[in-house]
Amino acid sequence: MRPVRRFTYLLFLTVFWPPMSVLAAEDGEFDAVHHTADAYYLDFLPIGKVELPRIFILRSESDGYGLRVFRSTKNALQSNELAAEFVINKDTTIYAPGDSLQALIDKGKHLDAKLIPISDQSAIILDLSMTKHLVFALLASGILLAIFVQLANRYKRGIGRTSAPRGLVQNLFETLVIFVRDDIAVPNLGKQHYQRFLPYLLTAFFFILTCNLLGLVPFGATATSNLNITAVLAAFTFVLTQTNGSKDHWRHVFWPPGMPVLVKILLIPTEIMGLFTKPIALAIRLFANLTAGHLVILSLIGMIFTFTNLFGEAVGYGVVPISLGFTLFVMCLEVLIAFIQAYIFTILSALFIGMAIAEHSHSEAH
Amino acid sequence: MVLAANLLSANVGLVIWLTVVFLALLLLLRRYAWGPITAALSEREKTISASMNRAEEVLAESRRIQESNQQARREAEQDAQRLLREAHEEAQRIRDREAQRTQEEITAMREQAREEIERDKERALQALRSEVSDLAILAAEKVLQENLDTSRQRALVNRFIDGLTSRGGSNQPPYQA
Repeated sequence: MRPVRRFTYLLFLTVFWPPMSVLAAEDGEFDAVHHTADAYYLDFLPIGKVELPRIFILRSESDGYGLRVFRSTKNALQSNELAAEFVINKDTTIYAPGDSLQALIDKGKHLDAKLIPISDQSAIILDLSMTKHLVFALLASGILLAIFVQLANRYKRGIGRTSAPRGLVQNLFETLVIFVRDDIAVPNLGKQHYQRFLPYLLTAFFFILTCNLLGLVPFGATATSNLNITAVLAAFTFVLTQTNGSKDHWRHVFWPPGMPVLVKILLIPTEIMGLFTKPIALAIRLFANLTAGHLVILSLIGMIFTFTNLFGEAVGYGVVPISLGFTLFVMCLEVLIAFIQAYIFTILSALFIGMAIAEHSHSEAH
Repeated sequence: MVLAANLLSANVGLVIWLTVVFLALLLLLRRYAWGPITAALSEREKTISASMNRAEEVLAESRRIQESNQQARREAEQDAQRLLREAHEEAQRIRDREAQRTQEEITAMREQAREEIERDKERALQALRSEVSDLAILAAEKVLQENLDTSRQRALVNRFIDGLTSRGGSNQPPYQA
Protein backbone atom coordinates (compact mmCIF):
# COMPACT_ATOMS: atom_id res chain seq x y z
CA MET A 1 0.00 0.00 0.00
CA ARG A 2 2.62 2.53 1.07
CA PRO A 3 4.95 2.17 -1.93
CA VAL A 4 1.93 2.59 -4.19
CA ARG A 5 0.93 5.81 -2.47
CA ARG A 6 4.51 7.05 -2.62
CA PHE A 7 4.56 6.30 -6.33
CA THR A 8 1.32 8.23 -6.82
CA TYR A 9 2.81 11.28 -5.09
CA LEU A 10 5.86 11.01 -7.30
CA LEU A 11 3.72 10.79 -10.42
CA PHE A 12 1.74 13.81 -9.27
CA LEU A 13 4.88 15.84 -8.69
CA THR A 14 6.26 14.74 -12.01
CA VAL A 15 3.17 15.77 -13.92
CA PHE A 16 3.10 19.18 -12.28
CA TRP A 17 6.77 19.85 -12.70
CA PRO A 18 6.61 21.04 -16.33
CA PRO A 19 3.81 23.51 -15.57
CA MET A 20 6.02 24.94 -12.86
CA SER A 21 8.85 25.56 -15.27
CA VAL A 22 6.33 27.23 -17.49
CA LEU A 23 5.81 29.82 -14.79
CA ALA A 24 9.09 31.20 -16.03
CA ALA A 25 7.53 31.90 -19.35
CA GLU A 26 7.81 35.61 -19.87
CA ASP A 27 5.14 37.69 -21.52
CA GLY A 28 3.15 34.56 -22.24
CA GLU A 29 6.00 33.30 -24.40
CA PHE A 30 7.59 30.02 -23.66
CA ASP A 31 10.72 28.55 -25.20
CA ALA A 32 10.74 24.77 -24.91
CA VAL A 33 14.21 24.51 -26.42
CA HIS A 34 15.62 26.85 -23.83
CA HIS A 35 14.41 24.57 -21.05
CA THR A 36 15.79 21.47 -22.67
CA ALA A 37 19.19 22.89 -23.56
CA ASP A 38 22.18 22.94 -21.26
CA ALA A 39 22.70 25.96 -19.01
CA TYR A 40 25.07 27.46 -16.49
CA TYR A 41 22.50 27.36 -13.70
CA LEU A 42 20.12 24.99 -11.97
CA ASP A 43 16.49 25.84 -12.37
CA PHE A 44 14.44 25.51 -9.18
CA LEU A 45 11.40 27.30 -10.49
CA PRO A 46 9.42 28.91 -9.06
CA ILE A 47 11.84 29.23 -6.14
CA GLY A 48 14.77 30.55 -8.14
CA LYS A 49 17.93 29.77 -10.01
CA VAL A 50 21.25 28.59 -8.64
CA GLU A 51 24.18 29.78 -10.71
CA LEU A 52 26.95 27.28 -11.24
CA PRO A 53 30.69 27.98 -10.94
CA ARG A 54 32.46 29.21 -14.06
CA ILE A 55 35.93 27.85 -14.67
CA PHE A 56 38.12 29.20 -17.48
CA ILE A 57 41.60 28.55 -18.70
CA LEU A 58 42.73 31.98 -19.98
CA ARG A 59 45.78 32.98 -21.84
CA SER A 60 46.97 36.53 -21.69
CA GLU A 61 50.03 37.98 -23.36
CA SER A 62 51.33 39.34 -20.07
CA ASP A 63 50.62 36.44 -17.69
CA GLY A 64 50.59 33.42 -19.99
CA TYR A 65 48.16 30.60 -19.14
CA GLY A 66 46.00 30.95 -16.08
CA LEU A 67 43.09 29.23 -14.41
CA ARG A 68 40.23 31.51 -13.39
CA VAL A 69 37.45 30.21 -11.18
CA PHE A 70 34.30 32.23 -10.44
CA ARG A 71 31.55 31.27 -8.06
CA SER A 72 28.91 32.21 -10.59
CA THR A 73 28.33 33.78 -13.98
CA LYS A 74 27.38 37.00 -12.17
CA ASN A 75 30.71 37.02 -10.35
CA ALA A 76 32.55 36.35 -13.58
CA LEU A 77 30.87 39.29 -15.28
CA GLN A 78 31.48 41.59 -12.35
CA SER A 79 35.15 40.67 -12.17
CA ASN A 80 36.13 43.15 -14.89
CA GLU A 81 37.80 40.33 -16.77
CA LEU A 82 34.90 39.01 -18.81
CA ALA A 83 32.04 40.56 -20.72
CA ALA A 84 28.71 39.16 -21.89
CA GLU A 85 28.27 38.81 -25.62
CA PHE A 86 25.01 38.21 -27.46
CA VAL A 87 24.82 37.42 -31.14
CA ILE A 88 21.33 37.87 -32.55
CA ASN A 89 20.93 37.73 -36.31
CA LYS A 90 24.62 38.53 -36.83
CA ASP A 91 24.31 41.63 -34.65
CA THR A 92 26.76 41.45 -31.80
CA THR A 93 25.94 43.17 -28.53
CA ILE A 94 28.55 43.26 -25.81
CA TYR A 95 27.69 44.09 -22.21
CA ALA A 96 30.73 45.33 -20.34
CA PRO A 97 30.66 46.11 -16.62
CA GLY A 98 28.46 49.08 -15.96
CA ASP A 99 24.81 49.99 -15.81
CA SER A 100 23.81 47.97 -18.86
CA LEU A 101 25.39 44.83 -17.38
CA GLN A 102 23.61 45.39 -14.07
CA ALA A 103 20.30 45.69 -15.91
CA LEU A 104 21.07 42.47 -17.76
CA ILE A 105 21.84 40.68 -14.51
CA ASP A 106 18.66 42.00 -12.91
CA LYS A 107 16.66 40.53 -15.76
CA GLY A 108 18.55 37.24 -15.40
CA LYS A 109 19.53 37.35 -19.06
CA HIS A 110 23.25 37.29 -18.31
CA LEU A 111 23.04 33.52 -17.89
CA ASP A 112 22.31 33.10 -21.57
CA ALA A 113 25.28 35.14 -22.72
CA LYS A 114 28.53 33.95 -24.16
CA LEU A 115 31.44 35.17 -22.04
CA ILE A 116 34.41 36.82 -23.74
CA PRO A 117 37.52 38.42 -22.27
CA ILE A 118 37.38 42.19 -22.00
CA SER A 119 41.04 42.65 -22.73
CA ASP A 120 42.09 42.15 -26.33
CA GLN A 121 45.30 40.60 -25.13
CA SER A 122 43.76 37.62 -23.42
CA ALA A 123 41.69 34.75 -24.75
CA ILE A 124 39.62 31.92 -23.31
CA ILE A 125 41.46 28.73 -24.18
CA LEU A 126 39.03 26.40 -22.49
CA ASP A 127 35.67 26.89 -20.80
CA LEU A 128 35.51 24.25 -18.07
CA SER A 129 32.41 25.74 -16.48
CA MET A 130 30.01 23.54 -14.62
CA THR A 131 26.74 23.12 -16.46
CA LYS A 132 23.30 21.84 -15.53
CA HIS A 133 23.82 18.62 -17.44
CA LEU A 134 27.25 18.06 -15.90
CA VAL A 135 25.74 18.50 -12.44
CA PHE A 136 23.12 15.89 -13.22
CA ALA A 137 25.73 13.56 -14.70
CA LEU A 138 27.68 13.93 -11.46
CA LEU A 139 24.51 13.37 -9.47
CA ALA A 140 23.82 10.22 -11.46
CA SER A 141 27.39 9.02 -10.81
CA GLY A 142 26.96 9.72 -7.10
CA ILE A 143 23.67 7.83 -6.99
CA LEU A 144 25.21 4.88 -8.84
CA LEU A 145 28.22 4.77 -6.53
CA ALA A 146 26.00 5.01 -3.45
CA ILE A 147 23.69 2.24 -4.62
CA PHE A 148 26.15 -0.20 -6.08
CA VAL A 149 28.99 0.09 -3.59
CA GLN A 150 26.48 -0.54 -0.83
CA LEU A 151 25.04 -3.41 -2.82
CA ALA A 152 28.53 -4.85 -3.36
CA ASN A 153 29.10 -4.73 0.40
CA ARG A 154 25.91 -6.69 0.91
CA TYR A 155 27.21 -9.33 -1.47
CA LYS A 156 30.57 -9.32 0.31
CA ARG A 157 28.77 -9.97 3.59
CA GLY A 158 27.27 -13.05 1.98
CA ILE A 159 23.73 -11.81 1.35
CA GLY A 160 23.06 -12.85 -2.21
CA ARG A 161 26.30 -14.82 -2.45
CA THR A 162 25.60 -17.74 -0.17
CA SER A 163 21.96 -16.90 0.49
CA ALA A 164 19.12 -15.51 -1.57
CA PRO A 165 19.15 -11.72 -2.19
CA ARG A 166 16.99 -9.83 0.27
CA GLY A 167 14.95 -6.69 -0.09
CA LEU A 168 13.51 -4.69 -2.94
CA VAL A 169 16.70 -2.77 -3.76
CA GLN A 170 18.94 -5.79 -4.03
CA ASN A 171 16.43 -7.85 -5.98
CA LEU A 172 15.65 -5.00 -8.36
CA PHE A 173 19.24 -4.15 -9.19
CA GLU A 174 20.33 -7.76 -9.27
CA THR A 175 17.66 -8.42 -11.89
CA LEU A 176 18.99 -5.55 -13.99
CA VAL A 177 22.62 -6.58 -13.55
CA ILE A 178 21.81 -10.16 -14.57
CA PHE A 179 19.76 -8.83 -17.48
CA VAL A 180 22.75 -6.81 -18.75
CA ARG A 181 25.03 -9.79 -18.28
CA ASP A 182 22.85 -12.57 -19.71
CA ASP A 183 20.83 -10.73 -22.34
CA ILE A 184 23.27 -8.05 -23.49
CA ALA A 185 26.87 -9.03 -22.78
CA VAL A 186 26.92 -12.81 -23.18
CA PRO A 187 24.92 -13.14 -26.44
CA ASN A 188 26.90 -10.39 -28.20
CA LEU A 189 30.39 -10.92 -26.83
CA GLY A 190 30.49 -14.64 -26.25
CA LYS A 191 31.13 -16.60 -23.10
CA GLN A 192 34.92 -16.20 -23.08
CA HIS A 193 35.12 -12.45 -23.73
CA TYR A 194 32.10 -10.95 -22.01
CA GLN A 195 33.72 -10.55 -18.61
CA ARG A 196 36.25 -8.08 -19.97
CA PHE A 197 33.55 -5.68 -21.19
CA LEU A 198 30.82 -6.32 -18.63
CA PRO A 199 31.95 -3.50 -16.27
CA TYR A 200 31.75 -0.98 -19.11
CA LEU A 201 28.37 -2.21 -20.29
CA LEU A 202 26.96 -2.17 -16.77
CA THR A 203 28.31 1.31 -16.11
CA ALA A 204 26.98 2.65 -19.41
CA PHE A 205 23.58 1.05 -18.90
CA PHE A 206 23.06 2.28 -15.37
CA PHE A 207 24.58 5.71 -16.02
CA ILE A 208 22.35 6.34 -19.02
CA LEU A 209 19.31 4.94 -17.24
CA THR A 210 19.91 7.12 -14.18
CA CYS A 211 20.51 10.22 -16.29
CA ASN A 212 17.34 9.51 -18.28
CA LEU A 213 15.25 9.05 -15.16
CA LEU A 214 16.71 12.14 -13.45
CA GLY A 215 15.22 14.14 -16.31
CA LEU A 216 11.76 13.02 -15.24
CA VAL A 217 12.23 14.11 -11.64
CA PRO A 218 10.94 17.56 -10.65
CA PHE A 219 13.68 20.20 -11.05
CA GLY A 220 15.72 17.57 -12.83
CA ALA A 221 17.52 17.77 -16.14
CA THR A 222 18.43 15.08 -18.61
CA ALA A 223 22.17 14.87 -19.05
CA THR A 224 21.65 12.40 -21.90
CA SER A 225 19.72 15.01 -23.87
CA ASN A 226 23.05 16.76 -24.43
CA LEU A 227 24.91 15.80 -27.56
CA ASN A 228 28.30 16.42 -25.92
CA ILE A 229 27.52 13.90 -23.23
CA THR A 230 26.14 11.22 -25.54
CA ALA A 231 29.15 11.79 -27.78
CA VAL A 232 31.50 11.05 -24.88
CA LEU A 233 29.61 7.86 -24.08
CA ALA A 234 29.68 6.81 -27.74
CA ALA A 235 33.39 7.65 -27.85
CA PHE A 236 34.00 5.20 -25.02
CA THR A 237 32.30 2.49 -27.06
CA PHE A 238 34.29 3.54 -30.12
CA VAL A 239 37.62 3.39 -28.29
CA LEU A 240 36.78 0.03 -26.71
CA THR A 241 35.70 -1.32 -30.09
CA GLN A 242 38.81 -0.21 -31.97
CA THR A 243 41.37 -1.05 -29.29
CA ASN A 244 40.01 -4.57 -28.99
CA GLY A 245 39.53 -5.16 -32.71
CA SER A 246 40.76 -8.52 -33.92
CA LYS A 247 42.93 -9.07 -36.98
CA ASP A 248 39.77 -10.06 -38.84
CA HIS A 249 38.11 -6.78 -37.92
CA TRP A 250 40.92 -4.70 -39.42
CA ARG A 251 41.25 -6.89 -42.49
CA HIS A 252 37.56 -6.36 -43.10
CA VAL A 253 38.08 -2.62 -43.00
CA PHE A 254 41.24 -2.30 -45.06
CA TRP A 255 41.09 -5.28 -47.42
CA PRO A 256 37.59 -6.77 -47.42
CA PRO A 257 37.98 -10.43 -48.37
CA GLY A 258 36.10 -12.35 -50.99
CA MET A 259 35.50 -9.73 -53.66
CA PRO A 260 37.16 -8.21 -56.77
CA VAL A 261 39.85 -5.60 -56.24
CA LEU A 262 37.75 -2.83 -57.79
CA VAL A 263 34.95 -3.47 -55.36
CA LYS A 264 37.48 -3.54 -52.56
CA ILE A 265 38.67 -0.08 -53.51
CA LEU A 266 35.10 1.12 -53.39
CA LEU A 267 34.42 -0.63 -50.13
CA ILE A 268 37.43 0.51 -48.13
CA PRO A 269 36.30 4.14 -47.71
CA THR A 270 32.80 2.91 -46.89
CA GLU A 271 34.19 0.57 -44.24
CA ILE A 272 36.33 3.32 -42.74
CA MET A 273 33.29 5.60 -42.64
CA GLY A 274 31.36 2.74 -41.05
CA LEU A 275 33.78 2.72 -38.13
CA PHE A 276 32.69 6.24 -37.27
CA THR A 277 29.04 6.20 -38.27
CA LYS A 278 28.28 3.52 -35.71
CA PRO A 279 29.27 5.54 -32.62
CA ILE A 280 27.89 8.74 -34.18
CA ALA A 281 24.56 6.99 -34.64
CA LEU A 282 24.78 5.85 -31.00
CA ALA A 283 25.34 9.39 -29.79
CA ILE A 284 22.64 10.96 -31.96
CA ARG A 285 20.06 8.29 -31.23
CA LEU A 286 20.35 8.68 -27.48
CA PHE A 287 20.46 12.48 -27.65
CA ALA A 288 17.54 12.75 -30.06
CA ASN A 289 15.29 10.35 -28.18
CA LEU A 290 15.78 12.03 -24.85
CA THR A 291 15.56 15.54 -26.25
CA ALA A 292 12.48 14.80 -28.32
CA GLY A 293 10.56 13.46 -25.34
CA HIS A 294 11.21 16.63 -23.37
CA LEU A 295 10.42 18.89 -26.28
CA VAL A 296 7.12 17.07 -26.77
CA ILE A 297 6.21 17.45 -23.09
CA LEU A 298 7.12 21.10 -23.03
CA SER A 299 5.31 21.72 -26.30
CA LEU A 300 2.18 20.10 -24.93
CA ILE A 301 2.40 22.41 -21.93
CA GLY A 302 3.14 25.28 -24.30
CA MET A 303 -0.15 24.59 -26.03
CA ILE A 304 -1.90 26.15 -23.04
CA PHE A 305 -0.06 29.45 -23.63
CA THR A 306 -0.49 29.34 -27.38
CA PHE A 307 -4.23 28.83 -27.08
CA THR A 308 -4.48 31.54 -24.42
CA ASN A 309 -2.68 34.00 -26.72
CA LEU A 310 -4.74 33.04 -29.75
CA PHE A 311 -8.26 32.59 -28.38
CA GLY A 312 -8.28 34.11 -24.92
CA GLU A 313 -8.00 32.90 -21.37
CA ALA A 314 -11.14 30.76 -21.32
CA VAL A 315 -9.95 28.57 -24.17
CA GLY A 316 -6.56 28.41 -22.47
CA TYR A 317 -8.15 26.99 -19.32
CA GLY A 318 -10.15 24.57 -21.45
CA VAL A 319 -7.00 23.23 -23.02
CA VAL A 320 -5.40 22.55 -19.62
CA PRO A 321 -6.94 19.09 -18.98
CA ILE A 322 -6.24 17.93 -22.53
CA SER A 323 -2.71 19.24 -22.36
CA LEU A 324 -2.03 17.66 -18.95
CA GLY A 325 -3.58 14.39 -20.03
CA PHE A 326 -1.26 14.16 -23.00
CA THR A 327 1.64 15.25 -20.79
CA LEU A 328 0.93 12.39 -18.40
CA PHE A 329 0.81 9.99 -21.31
CA VAL A 330 4.10 11.23 -22.75
CA MET A 331 5.67 11.16 -19.27
CA CYS A 332 4.81 7.46 -18.97
CA LEU A 333 6.22 6.97 -22.44
CA GLU A 334 9.36 8.78 -21.28
CA VAL A 335 9.82 6.32 -18.43
CA LEU A 336 9.64 3.53 -20.99
CA ILE A 337 12.04 5.37 -23.30
CA ALA A 338 14.47 5.90 -20.40
CA PHE A 339 14.81 2.13 -20.09
CA ILE A 340 14.65 1.37 -23.80
CA GLN A 341 17.35 3.87 -24.75
CA ALA A 342 19.67 2.69 -21.98
CA TYR A 343 19.11 -0.83 -23.26
CA ILE A 344 19.64 0.09 -26.89
CA PHE A 345 22.82 2.02 -26.26
CA THR A 346 24.22 -0.85 -24.22
CA ILE A 347 23.22 -3.66 -26.56
CA LEU A 348 24.52 -1.80 -29.61
CA SER A 349 27.80 -1.12 -27.80
CA ALA A 350 28.02 -4.81 -26.98
CA LEU A 351 27.17 -5.67 -30.58
CA PHE A 352 29.83 -3.35 -32.04
CA ILE A 353 32.48 -4.60 -29.63
CA GLY A 354 31.40 -8.17 -30.27
CA MET A 355 31.68 -7.70 -34.04
CA ALA A 356 35.14 -6.20 -33.68
CA ILE A 357 36.56 -8.88 -31.38
CA ALA A 358 35.08 -11.77 -33.34
CA GLU A 359 37.50 -13.98 -35.19
CA HIS A 360 36.01 -16.03 -37.94
CA SER A 361 37.16 -17.85 -41.00
CA HIS A 362 36.43 -16.23 -44.34
CA SER A 363 35.07 -19.28 -45.97
CA GLU A 364 31.90 -18.31 -44.14
CA ALA A 365 29.28 -16.40 -46.06
CA HIS A 366 28.97 -12.75 -45.21
CA MET B 1 17.47 33.85 -29.27
CA VAL B 2 21.01 32.65 -29.68
CA LEU B 3 20.28 29.78 -27.40
CA ALA B 4 18.18 27.90 -29.88
CA ALA B 5 21.48 26.62 -31.20
CA ASN B 6 22.42 25.45 -27.73
CA LEU B 7 20.83 22.04 -28.18
CA LEU B 8 23.47 21.10 -30.71
CA SER B 9 26.32 23.37 -29.66
CA ALA B 10 29.63 21.78 -28.84
CA ASN B 11 31.07 22.29 -25.39
CA VAL B 12 34.67 21.09 -25.18
CA GLY B 13 34.81 21.75 -21.43
CA LEU B 14 31.79 19.53 -20.85
CA VAL B 15 33.31 16.79 -22.99
CA ILE B 16 36.51 16.88 -20.92
CA TRP B 17 34.57 16.94 -17.66
CA LEU B 18 32.33 14.07 -18.63
CA THR B 19 35.22 11.98 -19.92
CA VAL B 20 36.91 12.35 -16.54
CA VAL B 21 33.70 11.77 -14.61
CA PHE B 22 32.63 8.75 -16.62
CA LEU B 23 36.09 7.21 -16.58
CA ALA B 24 36.28 7.67 -12.81
CA LEU B 25 32.80 6.23 -12.42
CA LEU B 26 33.73 3.27 -14.60
CA LEU B 27 36.91 2.54 -12.66
CA LEU B 28 35.34 3.02 -9.24
CA LEU B 29 32.31 0.89 -10.04
CA ARG B 30 34.47 -1.79 -11.63
CA ARG B 31 36.71 -1.93 -8.58
CA TYR B 32 34.15 -1.53 -5.81
CA ALA B 33 30.84 -2.66 -7.27
CA TRP B 34 30.81 -4.78 -10.44
CA GLY B 35 33.72 -6.92 -9.36
CA PRO B 36 32.24 -8.06 -6.05
CA ILE B 37 28.70 -8.22 -7.39
CA THR B 38 29.41 -10.30 -10.50
CA ALA B 39 31.81 -12.51 -8.55
CA ALA B 40 29.15 -13.11 -5.91
CA LEU B 41 26.53 -13.80 -8.55
CA SER B 42 28.64 -16.31 -10.43
CA GLU B 43 29.67 -17.92 -7.14
CA ARG B 44 26.01 -18.24 -6.16
CA GLU B 45 25.11 -19.65 -9.57
CA LYS B 46 27.95 -22.17 -9.33
CA THR B 47 26.80 -23.16 -5.84
CA ILE B 48 23.22 -23.56 -7.02
CA SER B 49 24.14 -25.59 -10.07
CA ALA B 50 26.52 -27.73 -7.99
CA SER B 51 23.78 -28.27 -5.41
CA MET B 52 21.35 -29.21 -8.11
CA ASN B 53 23.81 -31.65 -9.61
CA ARG B 54 24.41 -33.14 -6.20
CA ALA B 55 20.70 -33.38 -5.52
CA GLU B 56 20.30 -35.06 -8.88
CA GLU B 57 23.03 -37.55 -8.03
CA VAL B 58 21.59 -38.21 -4.59
CA LEU B 59 18.18 -38.73 -6.14
CA ALA B 60 19.60 -41.21 -8.64
CA GLU B 61 21.52 -42.91 -5.84
CA SER B 62 18.43 -43.18 -3.67
CA ARG B 63 16.46 -44.51 -6.63
CA ARG B 64 19.15 -47.13 -7.11
CA ILE B 65 19.07 -48.02 -3.43
CA GLN B 66 15.30 -48.19 -3.46
CA GLU B 67 15.47 -50.41 -6.51
CA SER B 68 17.93 -52.76 -4.85
CA ASN B 69 15.86 -52.70 -1.66
CA GLN B 70 12.80 -53.69 -3.59
CA GLN B 71 14.79 -56.37 -5.37
CA ALA B 72 16.01 -57.70 -2.03
CA ARG B 73 12.51 -57.61 -0.59
CA ARG B 74 11.14 -59.43 -3.58
CA GLU B 75 13.82 -62.06 -3.24
CA ALA B 76 13.18 -62.38 0.47
CA GLU B 77 9.48 -62.75 -0.15
CA GLN B 78 10.14 -65.39 -2.76
CA ASP B 79 12.50 -67.16 -0.36
CA ALA B 80 9.95 -67.02 2.40
CA GLN B 81 7.24 -68.36 0.12
CA ARG B 82 9.50 -71.10 -1.11
CA LEU B 83 10.38 -72.04 2.45
CA LEU B 84 6.76 -72.01 3.47
CA ARG B 85 5.84 -74.16 0.52
CA GLU B 86 8.64 -76.58 1.29
CA ALA B 87 7.59 -76.72 4.93
CA HIS B 88 4.04 -77.38 3.89
CA GLU B 89 5.16 -80.10 1.56
CA GLU B 90 7.42 -81.58 4.20
CA ALA B 91 4.64 -81.51 6.76
CA GLN B 92 2.29 -83.12 4.28
CA ARG B 93 4.85 -85.77 3.52
CA ILE B 94 5.41 -86.45 7.20
CA ARG B 95 1.69 -86.58 7.84
CA ASP B 96 1.19 -88.94 4.92
CA ARG B 97 3.99 -91.18 6.06
CA GLU B 98 2.68 -91.19 9.60
CA ALA B 99 -0.81 -91.99 8.45
CA GLN B 100 0.46 -94.75 6.24
CA ARG B 101 2.50 -96.24 9.05
CA THR B 102 -0.45 -96.05 11.40
CA GLN B 103 -2.59 -97.69 8.78
CA GLU B 104 -0.01 -100.39 8.36
CA GLU B 105 0.23 -100.90 12.08
CA ILE B 106 -3.52 -101.08 12.40
CA THR B 107 -3.65 -103.58 9.57
CA ALA B 108 -0.85 -105.60 11.11
CA MET B 109 -2.52 -105.55 14.50
CA ARG B 110 -5.84 -106.55 13.01
CA GLU B 111 -4.12 -109.32 11.15
CA GLN B 112 -2.39 -110.45 14.27
CA ALA B 113 -5.62 -110.34 16.18
CA ARG B 114 -7.37 -112.37 13.52
CA GLU B 115 -4.62 -114.94 13.57
CA GLU B 116 -4.82 -115.06 17.35
CA ILE B 117 -8.53 -115.55 17.17
CA GLU B 118 -8.13 -118.21 14.54
CA ARG B 119 -5.60 -120.00 16.61
CA ASP B 120 -7.74 -119.79 19.72
CA LYS B 121 -10.73 -121.00 17.78
CA GLU B 122 -8.76 -123.92 16.40
CA ARG B 123 -7.52 -124.77 19.87
CA ALA B 124 -10.96 -124.50 21.32
CA LEU B 125 -12.38 -126.55 18.51
CA GLN B 126 -9.71 -129.17 19.05
CA ALA B 127 -10.43 -129.22 22.74
CA LEU B 128 -14.14 -129.37 22.13
CA ARG B 129 -13.74 -132.09 19.60
CA SER B 130 -11.77 -134.32 21.88
CA GLU B 131 -14.13 -133.51 24.73
CA VAL B 132 -17.16 -134.29 22.67
CA SER B 133 -15.66 -137.44 21.29
CA ASP B 134 -14.74 -138.55 24.74
CA LEU B 135 -18.15 -137.65 25.93
CA ALA B 136 -19.79 -139.45 23.08
CA ILE B 137 -17.71 -142.49 23.54
CA LEU B 138 -18.51 -142.42 27.13
CA ALA B 139 -22.18 -142.05 26.46
CA ALA B 140 -22.15 -144.61 23.75
CA GLU B 141 -20.30 -147.00 25.92
CA LYS B 142 -22.91 -146.57 28.46
CA VAL B 143 -25.76 -147.04 26.03
CA LEU B 144 -24.38 -149.76 23.88
CA GLN B 145 -22.01 -151.51 26.17
CA GLU B 146 -22.74 -154.94 24.95
CA ASN B 147 -23.89 -154.63 21.41
CA LEU B 148 -21.12 -153.07 19.71
CA ASP B 149 -17.50 -153.72 19.49
CA THR B 150 -15.11 -151.03 20.00
CA SER B 151 -14.05 -150.56 16.40
CA ARG B 152 -17.59 -150.07 15.16
CA GLN B 153 -18.28 -147.65 17.99
CA ARG B 154 -15.31 -145.53 17.11
CA ALA B 155 -16.28 -145.33 13.48
CA LEU B 156 -19.76 -144.31 14.44
CA VAL B 157 -18.60 -141.63 16.80
CA ASN B 158 -16.18 -140.24 14.32
CA ARG B 159 -18.93 -139.99 11.74
CA PHE B 160 -21.00 -138.10 14.25
CA ILE B 161 -18.27 -135.74 15.08
CA ASP B 162 -17.54 -134.97 11.44
CA GLY B 163 -21.16 -134.18 10.95
CA LEU B 164 -21.01 -131.94 13.98
CA THR B 165 -17.99 -130.06 12.72
CA SER B 166 -19.37 -129.39 9.22
CA ARG B 167 -22.65 -128.14 10.66
CA GLY B 168 -21.52 -125.62 13.31
CA GLY B 169 -17.86 -124.90 12.37
CA SER B 170 -18.08 -121.32 11.00
CA ASN B 171 -21.23 -119.78 12.45
CA GLN B 172 -20.94 -120.33 16.06
CA PRO B 173 -17.73 -120.64 17.89
CA PRO B 174 -17.90 -124.07 19.32
CA TYR B 175 -16.70 -122.94 22.70
CA GLN B 176 -19.78 -120.80 23.17
CA ALA B 177 -22.15 -123.63 22.48
